[in-house]
Amino acid sequence: MKVLLASLFALFLTACGSGKKPDEQAFLNSLDSAKSGPTIDEEVINSILQQIPSPLEISVLLKESGTKYSPNILNSPDNLPKYNSNYKKALNLGVYGTDLGYTNIYEQNQDGIKYLESIKSLADGLNIGQFFDIETIGKLAANSKNLDSLLLITTQNFNSINHYLQTQSRANLSVLLLIGGWVEAMQITCQVSAKDPKNKELQEKIGEQKIILEQIVLLLGFYKEDANMASLLKDMEELKGAFDAIIITYTYRESTMEVVEGVAIIKDNSTTTINITEKDIENIKSLTNSIRNKIIS
Amino acid sequence: MKKIFSITLLMIIIGAGTTKLAGQCNPDNFANACIPKLSSGFNFLKSYKVDGEGGSKEKVEYSYVFTKGTQYMINLCATGTATDGIIVTLFDSSRNKVASSKINGQFISAIAYPCNATGIYYIQYTFDGSAGKCGGSALGFKR
Repeated sequence: MKVLLASLFALFLTACGSGKKPDEQAFLNSLDSAKSGPTIDEEVINSILQQIPSPLEISVLLKESGTKYSPNILNSPDNLPKYNSNYKKALNLGVYGTDLGYTNIYEQNQDGIKYLESIKSLADGLNIGQFFDIETIGKLAANSKNLDSLLLITTQNFNSINHYLQTQSRANLSVLLLIGGWVEAMQITCQVSAKDPKNKELQEKIGEQKIILEQIVLLLGFYKEDANMASLLKDMEELKGAFDAIIITYTYRESTMEVVEGVAIIKDNSTTTINITEKDIENIKSLTNSIRNKIIS
Repeated sequence: MKKIFSITLLMIIIGAGTTKLAGQCNPDNFANACIPKLSSGFNFLKSYKVDGEGGSKEKVEYSYVFTKGTQYMINLCATGTATDGIIVTLFDSSRNKVASSKINGQFISAIAYPCNATGIYYIQYTFDGSAGKCGGSALGFKR
Protein backbone atom coordinates (compact mmCIF):
# COMPACT_ATOMS: atom_id res chain seq x y z
CA MET A 1 0.00 0.00 0.00
CA LYS A 2 2.83 2.36 0.95
CA VAL A 3 4.61 1.59 -2.31
CA LEU A 4 1.42 2.24 -4.28
CA LEU A 5 0.86 5.56 -2.52
CA ALA A 6 4.49 6.61 -3.01
CA SER A 7 4.29 5.78 -6.73
CA LEU A 8 1.05 7.70 -7.15
CA PHE A 9 2.50 10.66 -5.26
CA ALA A 10 5.63 10.62 -7.47
CA LEU A 11 3.40 10.49 -10.55
CA PHE A 12 1.37 13.40 -9.19
CA LEU A 13 4.51 15.48 -8.60
CA THR A 14 5.81 14.70 -12.09
CA ALA A 15 2.48 15.77 -13.61
CA CYS A 16 2.70 19.08 -11.77
CA GLY A 17 6.35 19.63 -12.73
CA SER A 18 7.83 22.23 -15.07
CA GLY A 19 7.00 20.19 -18.15
CA LYS A 20 10.27 21.20 -19.88
CA LYS A 21 11.04 19.11 -22.91
CA PRO A 22 14.61 17.91 -23.54
CA ASP A 23 15.01 20.28 -26.51
CA GLU A 24 13.91 23.22 -24.35
CA GLN A 25 16.64 22.33 -21.86
CA ALA A 26 19.14 22.05 -24.69
CA PHE A 27 18.11 25.50 -25.82
CA LEU A 28 18.60 26.98 -22.38
CA ASN A 29 22.04 25.41 -22.16
CA SER A 30 23.13 26.39 -25.62
CA LEU A 31 23.06 30.17 -25.58
CA ASP A 32 26.47 31.79 -25.68
CA SER A 33 26.49 35.57 -25.90
CA ALA A 34 22.91 35.61 -24.74
CA LYS A 35 23.78 34.37 -21.24
CA SER A 36 23.63 37.69 -19.47
CA GLY A 37 20.13 39.14 -19.51
CA PRO A 38 19.22 42.70 -18.65
CA THR A 39 18.41 43.75 -15.12
CA ILE A 40 15.15 45.38 -16.14
CA ASP A 41 11.51 44.44 -16.18
CA GLU A 42 11.12 41.96 -19.02
CA GLU A 43 7.46 42.89 -19.30
CA VAL A 44 8.59 46.29 -20.55
CA ILE A 45 10.77 44.70 -23.21
CA ASN A 46 8.03 42.32 -24.29
CA SER A 47 5.49 45.12 -24.53
CA ILE A 48 7.82 47.11 -26.81
CA LEU A 49 8.66 44.03 -28.87
CA GLN A 50 5.01 43.32 -29.66
CA GLN A 51 4.58 46.83 -31.10
CA ILE A 52 7.02 46.32 -33.96
CA PRO A 53 4.98 45.82 -37.13
CA SER A 54 5.40 42.81 -39.36
CA PRO A 55 7.79 43.27 -42.33
CA LEU A 56 5.09 41.57 -44.36
CA GLU A 57 3.20 44.88 -44.43
CA ILE A 58 6.04 46.45 -46.46
CA SER A 59 6.12 43.54 -48.93
CA VAL A 60 2.37 43.81 -49.47
CA LEU A 61 2.70 47.56 -50.04
CA LEU A 62 5.44 47.01 -52.64
CA LYS A 63 3.44 44.40 -54.52
CA GLU A 64 0.20 46.40 -54.39
CA SER A 65 2.00 49.47 -55.71
CA GLY A 66 3.06 47.50 -58.80
CA THR A 67 6.75 47.12 -57.92
CA LYS A 68 8.38 44.21 -59.71
CA TYR A 69 9.91 41.27 -57.85
CA SER A 70 13.66 41.85 -57.34
CA PRO A 71 15.44 38.86 -55.78
CA ASN A 72 18.81 40.60 -56.16
CA ILE A 73 17.97 43.05 -53.36
CA LEU A 74 17.51 40.21 -50.85
CA ASN A 75 20.17 38.49 -48.76
CA SER A 76 21.22 35.33 -50.57
CA PRO A 77 20.19 32.15 -48.72
CA ASP A 78 23.66 30.86 -49.68
CA ASN A 79 25.20 33.21 -47.11
CA LEU A 80 24.03 30.81 -44.38
CA PRO A 81 27.50 29.33 -43.54
CA LYS A 82 28.69 32.82 -42.53
CA TYR A 83 26.42 32.90 -39.50
CA ASN A 84 28.09 31.02 -36.66
CA SER A 85 27.38 32.95 -33.46
CA ASN A 86 23.95 33.11 -31.84
CA TYR A 87 24.07 36.88 -32.39
CA LYS A 88 24.45 36.50 -36.16
CA LYS A 89 22.05 33.57 -36.33
CA ALA A 90 19.27 35.50 -34.59
CA LEU A 91 19.77 38.64 -36.69
CA ASN A 92 19.83 36.72 -39.96
CA LEU A 93 16.87 34.59 -38.95
CA GLY A 94 15.01 37.89 -38.92
CA VAL A 95 16.56 38.95 -42.24
CA TYR A 96 15.61 35.68 -43.94
CA GLY A 97 12.15 35.86 -42.39
CA THR A 98 11.56 39.16 -44.17
CA ASP A 99 13.00 37.74 -47.40
CA LEU A 100 10.73 34.70 -47.13
CA GLY A 101 7.72 36.97 -46.62
CA TYR A 102 8.75 38.96 -49.70
CA THR A 103 9.09 35.85 -51.89
CA ASN A 104 5.77 34.53 -50.55
CA ILE A 105 3.90 37.75 -51.32
CA TYR A 106 5.27 37.67 -54.88
CA GLU A 107 4.44 33.95 -55.09
CA GLN A 108 8.03 33.04 -55.95
CA ASN A 109 7.86 29.64 -54.36
CA GLN A 110 11.13 28.21 -55.63
CA ASP A 111 13.06 31.09 -54.08
CA GLY A 112 10.91 30.81 -50.97
CA ILE A 113 11.91 27.16 -50.44
CA LYS A 114 15.61 28.14 -50.46
CA TYR A 115 14.94 30.72 -47.76
CA LEU A 116 12.95 28.18 -45.80
CA GLU A 117 15.91 25.81 -45.73
CA SER A 118 18.24 28.54 -44.47
CA ILE A 119 15.65 29.63 -41.89
CA LYS A 120 15.23 26.08 -40.64
CA SER A 121 18.99 25.70 -40.32
CA LEU A 122 19.37 28.95 -38.34
CA ALA A 123 16.39 28.11 -36.14
CA ASP A 124 17.85 24.65 -35.44
CA GLY A 125 21.17 26.31 -34.58
CA LEU A 126 19.34 28.37 -31.97
CA ASN A 127 17.40 25.30 -30.77
CA ILE A 128 14.09 26.81 -31.78
CA GLY A 129 13.69 24.75 -34.95
CA GLN A 130 10.79 22.86 -33.38
CA PHE A 131 8.62 25.93 -33.95
CA PHE A 132 9.26 25.97 -37.68
CA ASP A 133 7.06 23.45 -39.43
CA ILE A 134 9.13 23.22 -42.61
CA GLU A 135 7.33 20.14 -43.89
CA THR A 136 3.90 21.80 -43.88
CA ILE A 137 5.28 25.08 -45.20
CA GLY A 138 7.15 23.24 -47.97
CA LYS A 139 3.92 21.51 -49.06
CA LEU A 140 1.99 24.77 -49.02
CA ALA A 141 4.74 26.53 -50.97
CA ALA A 142 4.45 23.95 -53.75
CA ASN A 143 1.11 25.41 -54.81
CA SER A 144 0.51 29.12 -55.36
CA LYS A 145 -3.19 28.63 -54.45
CA ASN A 146 -2.07 28.13 -50.85
CA LEU A 147 -0.72 31.66 -50.45
CA ASP A 148 -3.06 32.63 -47.59
CA SER A 149 -2.27 29.45 -45.63
CA LEU A 150 1.43 29.87 -46.33
CA LEU A 151 1.45 33.43 -45.01
CA LEU A 152 -0.62 32.41 -42.01
CA ILE A 153 1.56 29.51 -40.94
CA THR A 154 4.86 31.37 -41.41
CA THR A 155 3.54 34.33 -39.38
CA GLN A 156 2.30 31.94 -36.67
CA ASN A 157 5.66 30.16 -36.57
CA PHE A 158 7.59 33.41 -36.12
CA ASN A 159 5.09 34.57 -33.48
CA SER A 160 5.58 31.27 -31.62
CA ILE A 161 9.35 31.66 -31.73
CA ASN A 162 9.15 35.19 -30.34
CA HIS A 163 6.68 34.15 -27.66
CA TYR A 164 8.84 31.22 -26.64
CA LEU A 165 12.02 33.30 -26.44
CA GLN A 166 10.25 35.88 -24.32
CA THR A 167 8.80 33.33 -21.92
CA GLN A 168 12.24 31.76 -21.54
CA SER A 169 13.72 35.13 -20.47
CA ARG A 170 15.73 35.20 -23.70
CA ALA A 171 14.05 38.20 -25.22
CA ASN A 172 17.47 39.46 -26.36
CA LEU A 173 17.35 36.92 -29.19
CA SER A 174 13.80 38.01 -29.97
CA VAL A 175 15.04 41.62 -30.13
CA LEU A 176 17.75 40.60 -32.62
CA LEU A 177 15.28 38.61 -34.71
CA LEU A 178 12.94 41.59 -34.98
CA ILE A 179 15.77 44.04 -35.69
CA GLY A 180 17.14 41.80 -38.45
CA GLY A 181 13.68 41.64 -39.99
CA TRP A 182 13.18 45.39 -39.72
CA VAL A 183 16.59 46.29 -41.21
CA GLU A 184 15.96 43.96 -44.16
CA ALA A 185 12.52 45.51 -44.76
CA MET A 186 14.15 48.97 -44.62
CA GLN A 187 16.82 47.85 -47.08
CA ILE A 188 14.20 46.51 -49.51
CA THR A 189 12.14 49.71 -49.23
CA CYS A 190 15.17 51.98 -49.71
CA GLN A 191 16.38 50.00 -52.72
CA VAL A 192 12.95 50.06 -54.37
CA SER A 193 12.59 53.77 -53.58
CA ALA A 194 15.97 54.48 -55.21
CA LYS A 195 14.68 52.89 -58.42
CA ASP A 196 11.43 54.85 -58.19
CA PRO A 197 12.47 58.25 -56.73
CA LYS A 198 9.13 59.94 -57.52
CA ASN A 199 7.13 57.46 -55.44
CA LYS A 200 5.92 59.65 -52.54
CA GLU A 201 4.22 56.77 -50.75
CA LEU A 202 7.49 54.87 -50.49
CA GLN A 203 9.27 57.97 -49.20
CA GLU A 204 6.60 58.41 -46.54
CA LYS A 205 6.91 54.73 -45.67
CA ILE A 206 10.63 55.28 -45.07
CA GLY A 207 9.96 58.45 -43.04
CA GLU A 208 7.40 56.84 -40.75
CA GLN A 209 9.97 54.20 -39.75
CA LYS A 210 11.23 56.92 -37.38
CA ILE A 211 8.56 55.78 -34.91
CA ILE A 212 9.71 52.16 -35.04
CA LEU A 213 13.41 53.03 -34.90
CA GLU A 214 12.83 54.95 -31.67
CA GLN A 215 11.42 51.76 -30.15
CA ILE A 216 14.34 49.70 -31.48
CA VAL A 217 16.90 52.09 -29.93
CA LEU A 218 14.96 51.88 -26.68
CA LEU A 219 15.07 48.08 -26.79
CA LEU A 220 18.79 47.89 -27.55
CA GLY A 221 19.49 50.29 -24.69
CA PHE A 222 18.48 47.53 -22.27
CA TYR A 223 21.30 45.30 -23.54
CA LYS A 224 24.21 47.71 -23.91
CA GLU A 225 26.32 45.63 -21.48
CA ASP A 226 26.70 43.11 -24.29
CA ALA A 227 29.45 44.12 -26.76
CA ASN A 228 27.54 43.00 -29.87
CA MET A 229 24.34 44.73 -28.77
CA ALA A 230 26.26 47.89 -27.85
CA SER A 231 27.84 48.01 -31.30
CA LEU A 232 24.45 47.51 -32.96
CA LEU A 233 22.97 50.22 -30.72
CA LYS A 234 25.69 52.64 -31.85
CA ASP A 235 24.81 51.97 -35.49
CA MET A 236 21.11 52.37 -34.80
CA GLU A 237 21.66 55.64 -32.95
CA GLU A 238 23.54 56.95 -35.97
CA LEU A 239 20.62 55.94 -38.18
CA LYS A 240 18.24 57.59 -35.72
CA GLY A 241 20.29 60.78 -36.15
CA ALA A 242 19.47 60.70 -39.88
CA PHE A 243 15.78 60.40 -39.00
CA ASP A 244 15.90 63.35 -36.61
CA ALA A 245 15.45 65.79 -39.49
CA ILE A 246 12.13 64.15 -40.48
CA ILE A 247 9.08 65.81 -39.02
CA ILE A 248 5.95 63.76 -38.43
CA THR A 249 2.90 65.89 -37.63
CA TYR A 250 -0.09 64.15 -36.10
CA THR A 251 -3.52 65.76 -35.99
CA TYR A 252 -6.23 64.06 -33.98
CA ARG A 253 -9.86 64.33 -35.04
CA GLU A 254 -12.57 62.19 -33.54
CA SER A 255 -13.40 59.20 -35.70
CA THR A 256 -16.85 58.06 -36.75
CA MET A 257 -18.21 54.54 -36.85
CA GLU A 258 -20.93 52.52 -38.52
CA VAL A 259 -21.86 48.85 -38.31
CA VAL A 260 -21.89 47.00 -41.62
CA GLU A 261 -22.72 43.27 -41.66
CA GLY A 262 -21.69 42.82 -38.03
CA VAL A 263 -18.40 44.69 -38.36
CA ALA A 264 -17.78 48.14 -36.89
CA ILE A 265 -16.25 50.16 -39.72
CA ILE A 266 -14.20 53.09 -38.46
CA LYS A 267 -13.72 56.28 -40.42
CA ASP A 268 -10.40 57.64 -39.22
CA ASN A 269 -10.44 61.42 -39.38
CA SER A 270 -6.98 61.85 -37.83
CA THR A 271 -3.98 62.44 -40.09
CA THR A 272 -0.20 62.32 -40.12
CA THR A 273 1.94 64.30 -42.49
CA ILE A 274 5.55 63.32 -42.99
CA ASN A 275 8.09 65.91 -44.10
CA ILE A 276 11.03 64.11 -45.65
CA THR A 277 13.54 65.43 -48.21
CA GLU A 278 15.53 63.63 -50.90
CA LYS A 279 18.66 64.31 -48.85
CA ASP A 280 17.07 62.58 -45.83
CA ILE A 281 16.23 59.57 -47.99
CA GLU A 282 19.79 59.43 -49.34
CA ASN A 283 21.31 59.55 -45.82
CA ILE A 284 18.92 56.89 -44.51
CA LYS A 285 19.51 54.67 -47.53
CA SER A 286 23.28 54.87 -47.14
CA LEU A 287 23.28 54.16 -43.39
CA THR A 288 20.73 51.35 -43.73
CA ASN A 289 22.88 49.74 -46.41
CA SER A 290 25.94 49.94 -44.17
CA ILE A 291 24.16 48.39 -41.14
CA ARG A 292 22.59 45.70 -43.26
CA ASN A 293 25.97 44.79 -44.79
CA LYS A 294 27.41 44.36 -41.29
CA ILE A 295 24.50 42.09 -40.37
CA ILE A 296 24.64 39.84 -43.40
CA SER A 297 28.43 39.64 -43.85
CA MET B 1 -9.89 1.38 6.80
CA LYS B 2 -6.42 2.89 6.26
CA LYS B 3 -6.62 1.89 2.60
CA ILE B 4 -9.99 3.60 2.10
CA PHE B 5 -8.73 6.73 3.85
CA SER B 6 -5.56 6.89 1.68
CA ILE B 7 -7.46 6.41 -1.57
CA THR B 8 -10.07 8.99 -0.57
CA LEU B 9 -7.29 11.49 0.28
CA LEU B 10 -5.62 10.88 -3.06
CA MET B 11 -8.90 11.32 -4.93
CA ILE B 12 -9.49 14.63 -3.11
CA ILE B 13 -6.01 15.93 -4.08
CA ILE B 14 -6.41 14.93 -7.74
CA GLY B 15 -10.02 16.16 -7.77
CA ALA B 16 -9.02 19.57 -6.40
CA GLY B 17 -6.39 19.92 -9.11
CA THR B 18 -8.82 18.97 -11.85
CA THR B 19 -11.49 21.38 -10.57
CA LYS B 20 -8.97 24.24 -10.65
CA LEU B 21 -7.98 23.38 -14.22
CA ALA B 22 -11.60 23.25 -15.35
CA GLY B 23 -12.23 26.74 -13.96
CA GLN B 24 -9.15 28.26 -15.57
CA CYS B 25 -9.31 30.60 -18.50
CA ASN B 26 -7.69 29.26 -21.65
CA PRO B 27 -7.39 32.37 -23.83
CA ASP B 28 -5.03 30.67 -26.30
CA ASN B 29 -7.92 28.58 -27.60
CA PHE B 30 -10.07 31.67 -28.13
CA ALA B 31 -7.21 33.58 -29.75
CA ASN B 32 -6.52 30.71 -32.15
CA ALA B 33 -10.22 30.36 -32.93
CA CYS B 34 -10.33 34.03 -33.87
CA ILE B 35 -7.64 33.82 -36.59
CA PRO B 36 -9.79 32.11 -39.28
CA LYS B 37 -12.62 34.52 -38.46
CA LEU B 38 -10.70 37.48 -39.89
CA SER B 39 -12.55 38.69 -42.97
CA SER B 40 -11.41 37.58 -46.40
CA GLY B 41 -8.42 39.50 -47.74
CA PHE B 42 -6.93 40.24 -44.32
CA ASN B 43 -3.49 38.84 -43.54
CA PHE B 44 -3.01 37.58 -40.01
CA LEU B 45 -0.58 39.58 -37.86
CA LYS B 46 -1.04 38.78 -34.18
CA SER B 47 -3.30 36.91 -31.81
CA TYR B 48 -4.01 38.29 -28.35
CA LYS B 49 -5.02 36.55 -25.16
CA VAL B 50 -7.75 38.26 -23.16
CA ASP B 51 -7.65 36.89 -19.62
CA GLY B 52 -9.39 38.93 -16.92
CA GLU B 53 -8.03 36.44 -14.36
CA GLY B 54 -11.46 35.79 -12.90
CA GLY B 55 -12.16 39.48 -12.40
CA SER B 56 -8.88 40.53 -10.79
CA LYS B 57 -7.87 42.39 -13.94
CA GLU B 58 -10.11 45.19 -15.21
CA LYS B 59 -8.37 45.47 -18.56
CA VAL B 60 -5.87 43.75 -20.79
CA GLU B 61 -3.80 45.93 -23.07
CA TYR B 62 -1.45 45.47 -26.03
CA SER B 63 0.10 47.95 -28.44
CA TYR B 64 1.04 47.95 -32.10
CA VAL B 65 2.34 50.43 -34.67
CA PHE B 66 -0.43 51.00 -37.21
CA THR B 67 0.55 52.62 -40.49
CA LYS B 68 -1.26 55.07 -42.72
CA GLY B 69 -2.79 53.53 -45.81
CA THR B 70 -3.27 50.11 -44.24
CA GLN B 71 -6.60 48.69 -43.11
CA TYR B 72 -6.59 46.67 -39.90
CA MET B 73 -9.17 44.31 -38.47
CA ILE B 74 -9.44 43.29 -34.81
CA ASN B 75 -11.96 40.61 -33.88
CA LEU B 76 -13.12 39.05 -30.64
CA CYS B 77 -13.91 35.49 -29.59
CA ALA B 78 -15.33 34.26 -26.27
CA THR B 79 -17.58 31.61 -24.76
CA GLY B 80 -21.33 31.70 -25.33
CA THR B 81 -22.69 34.84 -26.85
CA ALA B 82 -20.53 36.51 -29.48
CA THR B 83 -18.23 38.58 -27.25
CA ASP B 84 -19.45 37.73 -23.71
CA GLY B 85 -19.29 41.41 -22.79
CA ILE B 86 -15.67 41.83 -23.91
CA ILE B 87 -15.04 45.19 -25.57
CA VAL B 88 -12.03 46.17 -27.64
CA THR B 89 -11.17 49.86 -27.68
CA LEU B 90 -8.44 51.46 -29.74
CA PHE B 91 -6.49 54.48 -28.46
CA ASP B 92 -3.83 56.53 -30.21
CA SER B 93 -0.44 57.28 -28.65
CA SER B 94 -1.93 60.29 -26.79
CA ARG B 95 -4.68 58.07 -25.43
CA ASN B 96 -7.39 59.60 -27.58
CA LYS B 97 -10.15 57.08 -28.26
CA VAL B 98 -10.13 56.04 -31.91
CA ALA B 99 -12.55 53.12 -32.03
CA SER B 100 -14.64 50.81 -29.87
CA SER B 101 -16.51 47.57 -30.44
CA LYS B 102 -19.40 48.74 -28.23
CA ILE B 103 -21.62 50.98 -30.30
CA ASN B 104 -24.96 52.29 -29.00
CA GLY B 105 -25.01 49.57 -26.35
CA GLN B 106 -24.39 46.86 -28.93
CA PHE B 107 -21.38 44.52 -28.61
CA ILE B 108 -19.74 44.07 -32.01
CA SER B 109 -17.37 41.14 -32.60
CA ALA B 110 -15.04 42.88 -35.07
CA ILE B 111 -13.78 46.33 -35.95
CA ALA B 112 -12.23 47.38 -39.25
CA TYR B 113 -9.89 50.33 -39.01
CA PRO B 114 -8.54 51.96 -42.17
CA CYS B 115 -5.60 53.81 -40.60
CA ASN B 116 -4.98 57.36 -41.71
CA ALA B 117 -2.32 58.29 -39.16
CA THR B 118 0.84 56.28 -38.47
CA GLY B 119 1.74 55.80 -34.82
CA ILE B 120 1.67 53.58 -31.78
CA TYR B 121 -1.86 52.48 -30.90
CA TYR B 122 -3.12 50.80 -27.74
CA ILE B 123 -5.49 47.87 -28.14
CA GLN B 124 -7.40 47.65 -24.87
CA TYR B 125 -9.80 44.89 -23.84
CA THR B 126 -12.32 45.53 -21.05
CA PHE B 127 -15.21 43.53 -19.56
CA ASP B 128 -18.75 44.86 -19.46
CA GLY B 129 -21.04 42.34 -17.77
CA SER B 130 -18.78 39.54 -18.94
CA ALA B 131 -19.50 36.16 -17.35
CA GLY B 132 -16.23 34.42 -18.15
CA LYS B 133 -13.90 37.42 -18.46
CA CYS B 134 -11.97 35.20 -20.82
CA GLY B 135 -11.50 35.42 -24.55
CA GLY B 136 -9.16 35.92 -27.44
CA SER B 137 -8.64 38.24 -30.35
CA ALA B 138 -6.83 38.40 -33.70
CA LEU B 139 -5.32 41.30 -35.62
CA GLY B 140 -5.06 41.29 -39.39
CA PHE B 141 -4.22 43.75 -42.13
CA LYS B 142 -4.80 44.46 -45.79
CA ARG B 143 -3.83 47.25 -48.17
